[in-house]
Amino acid sequence: MQFKQARLPNGLNVIGELNPAAASLAVGFFVRTGSRDETPEVAGVSHFLEHMMFKGTDRRTAFDINRQFDEMGAQYNAFTAEENTVYYGAVLPEFQDALLDLLGDMLRPALRAQDFDTEKNVILEEIALYEDRPQFRLYEKLMAAHFAGHPLGNSILGTPASITDLKRDDMCAYFQRRYSPSNVTLVGVGKIDWDALLAKATDACGHWSDYLAPRAVTDHAPAFTAAVIADEKLGRQYIALMGRGPSAQDEDRYAAALAATILGDSTGSRLFYALIEPAIADEAYCACECLDGTGAMLTFLATAPDRAAAALGIVRDELRRFQDDGPTEGEMTAARNKTASSVTLQGELPMGRLTAVGFDWVYRRQYRPLAEHIDRLMAVTAADVVRVARACDLTHATVLGLGPNKTL
Amino acid sequence: MTCSPNGRGRRRVRERCRAVAEVFHVHEFDNGLTLLGQPMEQVSSAAVTIALPGGSAGDPGELAGAASVGAYWLLRGAGERDTRALHDAFDSLGCRHHEDAQNEHLVLGAALLGDNLAKALAIYSDILRRPHLAERAFAPCRELIAQELESLEDEPMRKASVMIREQFYPQPLGRCPLGSRPTLTAMTPDAVAAHLGRLLSPAGATIAVAGRFRWEELVYVVGELLGDWSGPAMPAPPTAPAPRGLRHLIKPTAQVQIMLAYPAETIRGKRYYPARLAQMVLSGGTSSRLFTEVREKRALVYAVGARYHSLRDHAGMFVYAGTTPQRAQETLDVTVAELRRLGEGATEEEMARARTQLKSALVMQGESTSARADALAGDWHHLRRLRSLEELSAAVDAVTADQVAEYARAFPADELTALTIGPDELDTSALAAPGRRPCSSSKPDCPTA
Repeated sequence: MQFKQARLPNGLNVIGELNPAAASLAVGFFVRTGSRDETPEVAGVSHFLEHMMFKGTDRRTAFDINRQFDEMGAQYNAFTAEENTVYYGAVLPEFQDALLDLLGDMLRPALRAQDFDTEKNVILEEIALYEDRPQFRLYEKLMAAHFAGHPLGNSILGTPASITDLKRDDMCAYFQRRYSPSNVTLVGVGKIDWDALLAKATDACGHWSDYLAPRAVTDHAPAFTAAVIADEKLGRQYIALMGRGPSAQDEDRYAAALAATILGDSTGSRLFYALIEPAIADEAYCACECLDGTGAMLTFLATAPDRAAAALGIVRDELRRFQDDGPTEGEMTAARNKTASSVTLQGELPMGRLTAVGFDWVYRRQYRPLAEHIDRLMAVTAADVVRVARACDLTHATVLGLGPNKTL
Repeated sequence: MTCSPNGRGRRRVRERCRAVAEVFHVHEFDNGLTLLGQPMEQVSSAAVTIALPGGSAGDPGELAGAASVGAYWLLRGAGERDTRALHDAFDSLGCRHHEDAQNEHLVLGAALLGDNLAKALAIYSDILRRPHLAERAFAPCRELIAQELESLEDEPMRKASVMIREQFYPQPLGRCPLGSRPTLTAMTPDAVAAHLGRLLSPAGATIAVAGRFRWEELVYVVGELLGDWSGPAMPAPPTAPAPRGLRHLIKPTAQVQIMLAYPAETIRGKRYYPARLAQMVLSGGTSSRLFTEVREKRALVYAVGARYHSLRDHAGMFVYAGTTPQRAQETLDVTVAELRRLGEGATEEEMARARTQLKSALVMQGESTSARADALAGDWHHLRRLRSLEELSAAVDAVTADQVAEYARAFPADELTALTIGPDELDTSALAAPGRRPCSSSKPDCPTA
């Protein structure tokens, strides 16, 4: 495994983790932009723009793009989140150049008016699709409540109204503001030919003109509200809690990840024994969400409506107890080994490694081999976990319910 | 018996496949247990898939859901360990495990570092041979399944995918693995324990391992743990004709869920590879027909696609589209027209893309130990042998456009099994084969409801 890094004259960052033993490779353009970089009047533009990247360029029609991905047998897609928009593909090594040529061209889209109007309907369908998924609805509203007044509370998809009202010119302006090459990292992992990657990147992206694309990174003081969204159409009660957590730049994120595993892994965790084993809830988990300059600890559960209040009480007790007493050594060993296994399994696939390597660079301008990540996880002590849990203060959280109940 | 079934043709492995050149092993124990192995030098993980014949289709009718309840119950203590000690034992090995009742198998799966494989297998030996099945642990396991069943009501896409299988496959092969409220309520610990007693047997069971391990050691370890395990084979369940037909479930959802199904060749069948190519032409990538016509040109949906699914003796093409009510009729009509158009054949360009996509997906799946362990178990279930990447690639390359057209005419999208979930009924008169009047019901009488 070898790490390579370069910067094109126009500011485009290019990094690679070269694994000659891999059978495939993955390439991704990581654009440091997302819903937190939007203003309210263009809510959802980052995600809509991500769709439009597949609708054609000066050189390619939308069908050309789709056809060429398929001709390579590529596994490819894109995703938009609060802070990043990522375009990626995995192919067999012989298609490295062709994949990069295609992705590079796509990132300078034609944004044709007719495609814009047509694709709007696809976005509205996607919004409707998530409307039928209560866990997604709850998460979006929880982010809005927890990060009220902060751009991380922005909706990724936008609303039917904001999408309907969005103009092509708004999207062009957003593109001009955010897609500067110095705000983009090209990441290659797996069986990569580095020299060819650099040459093709220069060829495909070297003409992009550079400008500043700053993001205001501010921390946030949540108000820790508690509320419920009543929806009589639902049969189950969904509850989510969000508290403070370490940021993506904070080395305490390793300890926080272990805390989340001990508290709320899908098996063998505190919430598993407190809620799942006795069947008080059929879902309960914790996750650490490390973001740019801030972070959050998420707890999620799904229960029968008549047990929701009791289940929430149990979660609060477990969080408090964990913060007061800390983990046992047995829990620490299990959490370290489980996390190491997951990281290893993910790292064995170029597609899995792509996001890990990409986000290491995007958030920290740093490369860490998989083995070093595992070493750092293994080095976390119970005292570290307690310190981080108390620093975040797990007992304070924004709480939101969704379901037939009118109160939490 | 140990063999490498792909020995002879290995010389022809092409350059781009060399990084994942495969070695397969098979060992059949006297008690009917089969051990399958694929060592992979380039990884440090190992994945295990344990498949026990039976699964949700093997549940007696009055115990529908028993295998799902059992999958939880098996983890509530085994051998010397109680529930907590059992989970702690897995966790301390860093073992990511899951237990699922699938249609034809109860599946126990795990992924971990290869160094810990033998210890994990020892835990599985306890689960398979010495589960506690304590009465006090039964009710919570049943309650968890009841809650999962309830959750389906809040997630129409998942509900639709469960319901269409029930409607399409002969009963009870496509049955909802979660059972129904009446069967869960009536279930007793004694009845489920007795059923699990039949299910937990080495006869016909498969253990597939892929990743970092040594085959000789694995055969020895499994032999020591399970070689003297005994039990009779689980009989195949008697089947009754599939309900098929058309069904509307009225529900106030944001999107209408449209599910269609029609027969396909099974994995064992001689037209299997044309079936897979047909599926790729319809829905392989974003240049496929369904995506192009339904989403790209008309923007009727966010998600549309066709999936191939095979049980041992029955297979289907399952088609999904989700759309808002005002676009639902057009979505249905355009989708059905595309399915039927395949009988006119595919272009050479479409065929070339479909072949490349299928082969590329095979190579990439070959890098995941979990995907490989599942593939080994699947091959053994359907074919009683293991297919190499080379065999699969050659078979995919050999399929012609004419064979796909011929396949599409032999397995036409004529008489469609259809299910919609949404606020309104759709006009489904065009779905039945010409000359047959569809029967339609709008009552929410789904067995999972």
